[in-house]
Amino acid sequence: MITFKNVSKVYANGTHALTDINMQIEQGEFVFIVGSSGAGKSTFLKLLMCEEQPTEGEIVINDTVITDLPRRKIPFLRRTMGIVFQDFRLIDSMSVYDNVAFAMHVVGATPQEIRRRVPYMLSLVNLQEKAKCRPKELSGGEQQRVGLARALINNPKLIIADEPTGNVDPALSFEIVDLLSEINRRGTTILMVTHEHGLVKHFHRRIVEIQGGRIVADTGKVETSDEAE
Amino acid sequence: MRLSNLRYLLKEGAKNIWTNRTMSIASIAVLVSCLLLTGAAILLSMNIDSAMASVEGSNSIKVYCEQGLPTLKSVQVGEEIMKLDNVKSCELVLKDEAVEEMMDSLGDNGTVLESLLGDENFLPDAYRISMEDLSKYDETAASILAIDGVDQIIDYKDVAEKLTDLDNMVSTAGMWIVLLLSLVSLFIISNTIRVAMFSRRLQISIMKSVGATNWFVRLPFVVEGVLIGLISGLLSSLLLNIVYQNALGALAGINIFDPVDIGPLQGSITLLFVLAGMIFGAVGGMISITRYLHKEGSSFSIF
Ligand SMILES: Nc1ncnc2c1ncn2[C@@H]1O[C@H](COP(=O)(O)OP(=O)(O)O)[C@@H](O)[C@H]1O
Ligand SMILES: [Mg+2]
Repeated sequence: MITFKNVSKVYANGTHALTDINMQIEQGEFVFIVGSSGAGKSTFLKLLMCEEQPTEGEIVINDTVITDLPRRKIPFLRRTMGIVFQDFRLIDSMSVYDNVAFAMHVVGATPQEIRRRVPYMLSLVNLQEKAKCRPKELSGGEQQRVGLARALINNPKLIIADEPTGNVDPALSFEIVDLLSEINRRGTTILMVTHEHGLVKHFHRRIVEIQGGRIVADTGKVETSDEAE
Repeated sequence: MRLSNLRYLLKEGAKNIWTNRTMSIASIAVLVSCLLLTGAAILLSMNIDSAMASVEGSNSIKVYCEQGLPTLKSVQVGEEIMKLDNVKSCELVLKDEAVEEMMDSLGDNGTVLESLLGDENFLPDAYRISMEDLSKYDETAASILAIDGVDQIIDYKDVAEKLTDLDNMVSTAGMWIVLLLSLVSLFIISNTIRVAMFSRRLQISIMKSVGATNWFVRLPFVVEGVLIGLISGLLSSLLLNIVYQNALGALAGINIFDPVDIGPLQGSITLLFVLAGMIFGAVGGMISITRYLHKEGSSFSIF
């Protein structure tokens, strides 16, 4: 599904964030990306989202070479991915429901589609009772579940999450990753950056370690059976 | 574009205006001033034109024949005058009529002039003439003076010249003022919208992260500008009407010329103002959103 070929990224200020990255991720995989701060993990995800362009190499997603995608096509590429932010990025002046519905509006969904799909999504992340609440009235874990519902609402094939549990109580982190696992079971590819060793150890998934802008370890594809958890 | 999308855009635009009330009001005030001044300049210029037309239209130029010229000769002078290109009408005022006019204006005391009628009349025959085009006044006047039997011309040339000067001045000054204010309006509107955008940068970043096209991100802000323009257009055409009616009321006693009636013009003024306002708003919005999307708005993550 995703292929990095000799990808390097040097920022305008001369920082070598990534050097000669080669890797492949298949449809339906769940990948933890680990590494110390400043290792280049976020840069790796930004290249995937077309937020940054690599200085060298090529990235292919589903047969599309995204590294020379015209600017006007980027929005349509982003519609195939759901992005989860560490800081949730919820709009405080909107209810939980509207925060999720907003993402459908943006891509031109009809009101009927929105009315049908948003409640379903909220029930998937177990927040149907909080639909009318404001984000500020929710716990960190709940807020991130809203963020997850929003990322999933347009039915992406790929979820990109940069430290989604970074602002969530450790105890509730498992809940978030459980949800991601559930989504993964339904066929969605998951890329998740995390610092939490506990999580990585608990969920037996593929682990890619980046250090100093290079991939230093990769467990490769991990066959998961539901019983493993 | 679906209807529901349009509704969404209008709602977002209106919300932006409301959230940034102070800036929105400032934009509207500046745009209204600009439109009002434009309107005032247009109306002033139209009134000057109308005053000129009334000077041109009235038989305000008098051509006097030589004193004691036989009436037959005076009639020939009239025929010569009529032959000139620029003369629209030419009306003979016989010396006896002139005396009668004077007697009328003196009322009861007019009878003292009775003795002047007939052979004792020392007034010359005269013509009241009007010209097609006052700007050709000098040539026409010269041609008239060249006619045998013409003594002098009494005219309103000065008035016509002053009106032409005034008209030019109003047009030039008006144009500069309008140009300057247009720039100020654009600046203020685009700043207002930039503030709106800044206060919504989180929303914009989320929109971009879920795959909104740049157009979709832009439109609410363009709509905001257009709404500001629409409000300003309606407001200024209403204000212009009120101010103009009041000005006419104040001038009602002084009957120099027929002022232009704003009534039949109101429709086109409103249309013009609303269109101008909306174009300004849209352009102002586009300027700032394009700048924003090229700078801060190009990325959406703060990982
Ligand atoms: N926009 C940028 N401009 C310049 N340098 C950057 C930029 N973003 C990240 N970097 C640098 O690139 C390196 C990798 O950053 P990042 O990918 O954010 O690491 P991580 O997410 O693993 O902590 C760091 O040294 C960081 O300072
Ligand atoms: Mg990071």
